[in-house]
Amino acid sequence: MNETNLHNEARQATLAQTTRRHFLRDCGTGLGALWWATNAAANADRGVSLPRHSATNPLNALATPFAPRAKRVIHLHMIGAPSQLELFDYKPQLQKFDGKDCPQEFLEGKRFAFIQGTPQLLGHQYPFQRHGQSGQWVSDRLPHFAKCADDVCFIKTMQTDQFNHGPAQLTVHTGDPRMGRPSLGSWVTWGMGTENEDLPGFLVLLSGGRPPRVGKALWSSGFLPSVYQGVQCRSEGDPVLNVSNPRGVTRDLRRAALDTLARMNEQSYREVGDPETLTRMAQYEMAFRMQIAVPDAMSIDDEPQAMHELYGTSRGKESFANNCLLARRLAERGVRYIQLFDWGWDSHGAAEGEALNRGFRDKCRQIDRPMAALLGDLKQRGMLEDTLVVWSGEFGRTPMRENRGGGEMRYVGRDHNPGAFTLWMAGGGARPGFTYGETDEMGYGAAVNPVHLRDYHATLLRMLGFDHQKLSVPYQGLDQRLTGVKHARVISDVMA
Amino acid sequence: MPLHEQIGRRRRAWLSVVVTLGCLSWADVVVGAESVSFNHSIRPILSRHCMKCHGGVKQAGGLSFVYEQQALGRGKSGLRVVVPGRAEESELYRRITTDDPDDRMPPIDESPHGLSAEEKRLIQEWIEQGAKWGRHWAFELPRKQAPPPVGKAGWPRQLMDRFTLSRIEAHGLSPAKEASPEIWLRRASLDLTGLPPSLSELELFAKQREESGERAYGLAVDRMLASPAFGERWASVWLDQVRYADSRGLGADARRTIWKYRDWVIDAFNDDLPFDQFTLKQLAGDLLPDATMEDLIATACHRNTQSNNEGGTDDEQFRVDAVIDRVNTTWQVWQATTFGCTQCHSHPYEAFRHEDYYRFMAYFNNTTDSDTGNDDPVLQVPLRNSDYSEARALDVTIENLRDKIWKPADELRRDRNVWRSLNGLKASTKYGTTVGVDRVDGVDEFVLPEAVKQKASIILEASLPKGLSHITALRITAKPRDPAQALADSEWGFIVTRLKAEVIGPDGGKATTVPLTHAISDEPDPHYDPIESLTGGNFGFAAYTRINHAREAVFVPSEAFEVAAGSTLRVSLDHSVFLLASFTMVIRRGSIAVSDDERWTEFANDSKFDTWRSKLAEASKRRAAIPTTKAPVMRERVDWLRRPTHVFTRGNYLEKAERVEVGIPASMRGDSTPNPGNRLELARWLVGPDNPLTARVAVNRFWEQMFGTGIVPTLEDFGSSGEKPTHPELLDFLALRFQNELGWSRKGLLREFALSATYRQDAAASANARAADPSNRWLARGTRRQLTAEMVRDQALAAAGLLSAKMYGEPVRPPIPSGVWKPFSKDPWETSEGEDRYRRSVYTYIKRSIPYPSFAAFDAPSREFCSPRRLSSNTPLQALVTLNDEAFVECASGLAGRMSVAGGSVATRLAFGYRLVACRDIGVERRRELEKLYEVARKSFQASGVGKRDMPEKTPELSALNIVAGVLLNLDEVLTR
Repeated sequence: MNETNLHNEARQATLAQTTRRHFLRDCGTGLGALWWATNAAANADRGVSLPRHSATNPLNALATPFAPRAKRVIHLHMIGAPSQLELFDYKPQLQKFDGKDCPQEFLEGKRFAFIQGTPQLLGHQYPFQRHGQSGQWVSDRLPHFAKCADDVCFIKTMQTDQFNHGPAQLTVHTGDPRMGRPSLGSWVTWGMGTENEDLPGFLVLLSGGRPPRVGKALWSSGFLPSVYQGVQCRSEGDPVLNVSNPRGVTRDLRRAALDTLARMNEQSYREVGDPETLTRMAQYEMAFRMQIAVPDAMSIDDEPQAMHELYGTSRGKESFANNCLLARRLAERGVRYIQLFDWGWDSHGAAEGEALNRGFRDKCRQIDRPMAALLGDLKQRGMLEDTLVVWSGEFGRTPMRENRGGGEMRYVGRDHNPGAFTLWMAGGGARPGFTYGETDEMGYGAAVNPVHLRDYHATLLRMLGFDHQKLSVPYQGLDQRLTGVKHARVISDVMA
Repeated sequence: MPLHEQIGRRRRAWLSVVVTLGCLSWADVVVGAESVSFNHSIRPILSRHCMKCHGGVKQAGGLSFVYEQQALGRGKSGLRVVVPGRAEESELYRRITTDDPDDRMPPIDESPHGLSAEEKRLIQEWIEQGAKWGRHWAFELPRKQAPPPVGKAGWPRQLMDRFTLSRIEAHGLSPAKEASPEIWLRRASLDLTGLPPSLSELELFAKQREESGERAYGLAVDRMLASPAFGERWASVWLDQVRYADSRGLGADARRTIWKYRDWVIDAFNDDLPFDQFTLKQLAGDLLPDATMEDLIATACHRNTQSNNEGGTDDEQFRVDAVIDRVNTTWQVWQATTFGCTQCHSHPYEAFRHEDYYRFMAYFNNTTDSDTGNDDPVLQVPLRNSDYSEARALDVTIENLRDKIWKPADELRRDRNVWRSLNGLKASTKYGTTVGVDRVDGVDEFVLPEAVKQKASIILEASLPKGLSHITALRITAKPRDPAQALADSEWGFIVTRLKAEVIGPDGGKATTVPLTHAISDEPDPHYDPIESLTGGNFGFAAYTRINHAREAVFVPSEAFEVAAGSTLRVSLDHSVFLLASFTMVIRRGSIAVSDDERWTEFANDSKFDTWRSKLAEASKRRAAIPTTKAPVMRERVDWLRRPTHVFTRGNYLEKAERVEVGIPASMRGDSTPNPGNRLELARWLVGPDNPLTARVAVNRFWEQMFGTGIVPTLEDFGSSGEKPTHPELLDFLALRFQNELGWSRKGLLREFALSATYRQDAAASANARAADPSNRWLARGTRRQLTAEMVRDQALAAAGLLSAKMYGEPVRPPIPSGVWKPFSKDPWETSEGEDRYRRSVYTYIKRSIPYPSFAAFDAPSREFCSPRRLSSNTPLQALVTLNDEAFVECASGLAGRMSVAGGSVATRLAFGYRLVACRDIGVERRRELEKLYEVARKSFQASGVGKRDMPEKTPELSALNIVAGVLLNLDEVLTR
């Protein structure tokens, strides 16, 4: 092994040296850097500065233009759009009008996915109570979470342009209803890199039995280099694709093979002098380290029993609770952006599983304890200060009861409502124990302080230390931004 | 010093060199040594400092530097912005040079230092010299270029080399030595066929070099161009452009059967279909006279747009999205222009106005596809290409017969004298939907003004007109609820799944059903045949799924139906089909009319029609007997159902402004050029001699594939915010050569590239040489870059001896890591068996929401939209793929097996393996490395001994070879070309 160590040292030294020697070249190539190096001049003039990662590590941590309030993000996305009217947005008037015909002005000029004719208003299906010193409203479906009310900042007036799931989910994650653009996590890891080089900077965890319908497009790097795309962690097979060695290849043997590979690559480098060869060598070393770091991070077996109880995990299975615990482990290890998706929140009432009076209860049970555990656990570890936890769906649900086919349905449900939904955030610079925005009396639209998803994106980027106008990439003739070309506003009120 | 500054400096330095040499003929740049070129010097300054506020979108003070008339006219202030010849009198010059902080441009707060002294000087000189305006270079036609004189006259092998060499020399560089023949062969083979050369190809090349020297290179390239692998390699490049996928994208991302198009692209490359024809067929093959089956398949190009099958989605919204995507993709692919910007507003820096976008969109807005779940219209494409001509001939026969039968009846339908409207209409509905009756232009129309419930049936009753003694036909007219508005904003359509007509005698009493037997649609080939309204079921007279225009269908009894005076007609219209969600598919407004014209009865009974009908039936039967698959295609709507196109206010399709007709942007149309009148003429304009961009854009793409970076590095943007060409004269030379001498032959162009001295250079370069040109813009060395995703996999399969040569067909499903394939809607991944497991990557099933993992890791786009350029990355996840992915582990095993059976000493076997992947001799050092590893591995497996389960292969020796093979497939030189 001595020889190997010596060899490693030599290689590190060569790497360092050549890296310095080729600094100029390195700035301009690798990772499609040519593409932005050549655009750099124009960008400098436009006040846009592109993050400059090192040539051998495109994920090295970078300082942000502003001091970040949050260093990492855990986003909990409830796929299908949970009903804000059964969880957070308490509307006594709606309760009064339960069962009454919906006023015509609610219907005029509106498009619905399923509602037909004149539907009836539907009161809250569950009782609400104020919680904590801040007195925030939470329904009885989330008793554990309700105890965190003082840590949480609610935005009650979230709005989107999309009323179908696929496009709406894409809008939440990429700012655009169509597939093919970089996701929030990609923008952030591109802009900030990550803190643990042995793990991907942007990880995705799924629960609920189904993936989101547009799949990988929600964690795509779009027109950013693919190194910034989200890496999906799995509960089946390898926790990250291909992280295990093939059958019969031990770690020692892999090390020996990689050493041979490195020496032969070095020879290529000596012959040709292409700095990309050095980059590749560094990537293979990183891959080798990932092979240990990923399974370690992704195994919850070494967590104490009390932790398992706190989160309500079920070992060896795919669950939201397991993912919350994993999220904490990944955050602890310096992963920049942790994206959870939980499927099963599309409460139309067309079937038992998606009924507000049936399946919805189970979904609430599945998330209540783990969400509270995650917030408490982070807080107890002193990590909530710089970890931003966000919870949302892709749109809201109507105060009208869904009447698919124009008649009363067997189960109780609500249709899609892009006009108002609730998003909450906690930690990482979010203003604790605070509610922003107010919906109208029926909870149908935003009455005070509407917040478009664009505004939320701008705010989140600001919390992470970016100016949303300047975090941009020249592509197809436009400075592409997460927030697009329309005006987006940073909601400073929701920042601590 | 930042890189870009270095480049900037060097460019300036280069300019002065060239100017003094006086050999620069590219007109745009500099006319004489003293004159300031607008395009070269002034536009960049304006674009950088001014156009953000004085551009196409924002025109502060009414001033835009995009349009000549405005820039050289007066601002809102009334002052002349530019007075040619007099800088001091020009507001522009005054504002950039003034000391008054309130007046200075650009504003102090945005740009504290303002323009540099050099920039000010340039503007001053430009104005003094007469302020000659110029169009951005890319919108001027390419000019004929003579290859420039060069110092090292013996170096060029192709005309193009003179252009590159002159730049190399102008930069004080010298070309690299020639790459070794094997290295060149490997690079050319991967570039041209996507595969490394086989051992026999390596041997043949060596032999021919011995025998005929230099000629061997040409022969090798000809072999590569003639190989079917050529089309498979280049199809992948094109399919990125046209966003080909085997799924529909968006909501459900369900399967789409469109692989015949992919095969057509492969054939088009292999047959060297000239690029102009290639263009015409894809954009407008359906409109070509005597279109062949292939021409129709080619139109699937623009049916690769995403469609949304999520329940509750608005088909019109996604139809419009698809049309917009066709517009943007056409501009991206053929013009490398960011025309998409004009969807919402006039272009910020090109001379394209907002309405230009919609005029162009009108070319694409009249196809029948409308985001329906079945991808309609689809073509039944014979599985065997040999059946194409017969199938197409039958289709033509069927069309002709259908027209013959339909036309006379349709003329009769249009004859207003034939019909008697039923007034005094009484309307009712089942299931509680409101219905009323309006009198419109003297005709009673039933109307369903409010929200309609699903499956609503409409029952209409009216007294038959006086004097009518029998009924020979019944006409149903169906209109949108708001006919005027619906022309621009279509409404949801309808399907009459059951139509019943009954007559009630003057004395009341029992109703008698009119035995309707024939149905005539208002178009020759309707989406659904109205005859099905008579037979019951889920189809029938329909506007599916949207309605713009009034629609009509005529129903005819085989015998004239006698009616007593004073009888009443009762017509019931059932709508038993609705789309998921609130889309009820019920007629919202309509009227009925009857006829007693005996020609209807003739139509139903004339033996001439019967003969045609039976011929039609026979042809249809023969057509149906040909085994087929499907392909969605482009098809125009009939003229009288044409969709009008409107400008969308701020790009929002729900807010329509003025109506527009087809047209190309005025700024690209010469004064005498007529506007193309339809899609076909549009395609002809794209490849015609008046289009400045098509040939340039195409050669630039091929250049990028072969040389690593485009002559215009921004492949996707030739406009003023894109980069300038590094070799402008070469770009023009190649563009003209491609479209003229080479007759748009892509193989011809690639042959010249592959045989050029520029291409044949070695990629090796000293640190100094690299520092002098870090990104190899001047091509003084060979290009070296990572293999594409397809090449990485195909090469591994080839090295393992597993690669199947089978071409074409349904997408295949090679092994995929477990847990990856979790489609939202049912679409099982059944791993292909036999050779289908090892096919070229171009045949792998492409699902947009679940990209094949190893392709995604190696930067293949997921094909939602046109991907003008792949960005190459170099990541640990790639390392994990080629080290551990099942498919690659299988390849390592195959390669180990080949090394094992190759025989000879261990050293020989290792050299053999190395030669398979690197295509050259191993050399001592590398062989020693592999030997060492082999020994370590062998010993390790031997020590672990009996536990065969713990070895990758059956014996320690073979297992050790497997480990070595893993290294070989991961070598940097093997993953690059």
